[in-house]
Amino acid sequence: MKEVKVEVIGSEPPCMRCQAVKKAVEKAAEKLKQSGIKVEVHKANIMSKETVQKYGVLVSPAIAINNTVKIMGRVPSEEEVEKLLRGAAK
Amino acid sequence: MNEKTLRMLRASIILAFIIFVVGYLIYSRIRAYSLAPTMKPADFHGLAVWEIPIAYLIDYFSHGWICLLFAFVAAGLVYEFVPKEAITKYMSSGRIAGYGLALGMAPFLTVCSCTMVPLFGGILYSGAGIGPAMTFLLMAPSANILAILITGEMISWELAGVRIIVSAVVAIVAGVVISKTPWGKAVEKEHQVNVSAVNSKIEIVKPPLDERLWAALKFGGYLAKQILPFFLLGLVAVSYVEAYLPEDIVGAYLTGFTGILIASVIGGPLYTPTLVEIVLGKGMFDLGMSKGALLSWLMGQPYDVANALAVSRIARWKVVATYMLIAWAGSVIFGLLYGWLSGSL
Repeated sequence: MKEVKVEVIGSEPPCMRCQAVKKAVEKAAEKLKQSGIKVEVHKANIMSKETVQKYGVLVSPAIAINNTVKIMGRVPSEEEVEKLLRGAAK
Repeated sequence: MNEKTLRMLRASIILAFIIFVVGYLIYSRIRAYSLAPTMKPADFHGLAVWEIPIAYLIDYFSHGWICLLFAFVAAGLVYEFVPKEAITKYMSSGRIAGYGLALGMAPFLTVCSCTMVPLFGGILYSGAGIGPAMTFLLMAPSANILAILITGEMISWELAGVRIIVSAVVAIVAGVVISKTPWGKAVEKEHQVNVSAVNSKIEIVKPPLDERLWAALKFGGYLAKQILPFFLLGLVAVSYVEAYLPEDIVGAYLTGFTGILIASVIGGPLYTPTLVEIVLGKGMFDLGMSKGALLSWLMGQPYDVANALAVSRIARWKVVATYMLIAWAGSVIFGLLYGWLSGSL
């Protein structure tokens, strides 16, 4: 089974836009699961040392797929996330 | 219709809307409408208590809507199209560039309060350190594009310009001073991380133009939803201030040196990142507050409580106290200076 790792990087406590991103990612992950791709969704705090060490300064909300930041500072649609995840799973 | 044509069509419709908004704003400028409320305190005499806010809101929205619409559209567009990844990449590069970027990017990235504190943290942890992080934090509230546009349209462009310049000066001074203090250095040392290997891990995906334009408008709408309810409440409050606050009280307490002191002290706690401070400032200015006191009032934002709390979780209270003191002193000094230079102390 193919696997994709997604990190939703947002502020803590979560801001409204970060929550919107998380929802889109979760929905997309659910869809992919049905077509046989396993999606691991993690939440990362944009303010934590680990996140900054890994990715540098980011604008929240951000999405990293397989340890690469793909989206920053905007809320993508569910379809867009799904497309990105499918691409990464290949 | 294939997808490409459809996308082009959608993009052109959104662009047409944006051009209409910009065009109408320019047209209203040419026709020299006032985009701020035009009612003066005397106009409220004879109105019933409940009629006052209604009359004021109608007065404001009948000509102010284009200014608000433009502000939110512009904020959305700027936020969407500013190259965020380039900025954040340079942000971790070094000190002097850090100060420049902190000043330069504050207007574009900070329309949403939830981006501000994370960015502050990011700048602090990465190469630039506590000085630029502080500069960014202090510059952000007064220099964001919404605040500038609304200050300019509601009060005056002179004041909007002065507010930006003075905020920049105070923000840099506070950043430099704090980075030299022992407690500032301690915070910086505690949080510094090595981010040298970062840049390869960011590959931003750009959606097609129509989606970006739509996202920009949606973000403008999101901002409007966040801000407008408070803004409306602020307008209602201002209508009562204008109707009932006697001019001699404003004249006695909000002018001269005392006026600047009072304005600088109450401006902070009353500050909310919702543009209400601008409307309230405008109301009191109409009642006779001096220009100097008005500037001090608008510069009160750095000791906004919610912000200070969020920051004190990362930086220590000593750092917060230092920047508050510098920001307060700055608002008094520049209030006096501006009042004196503009002949309205």
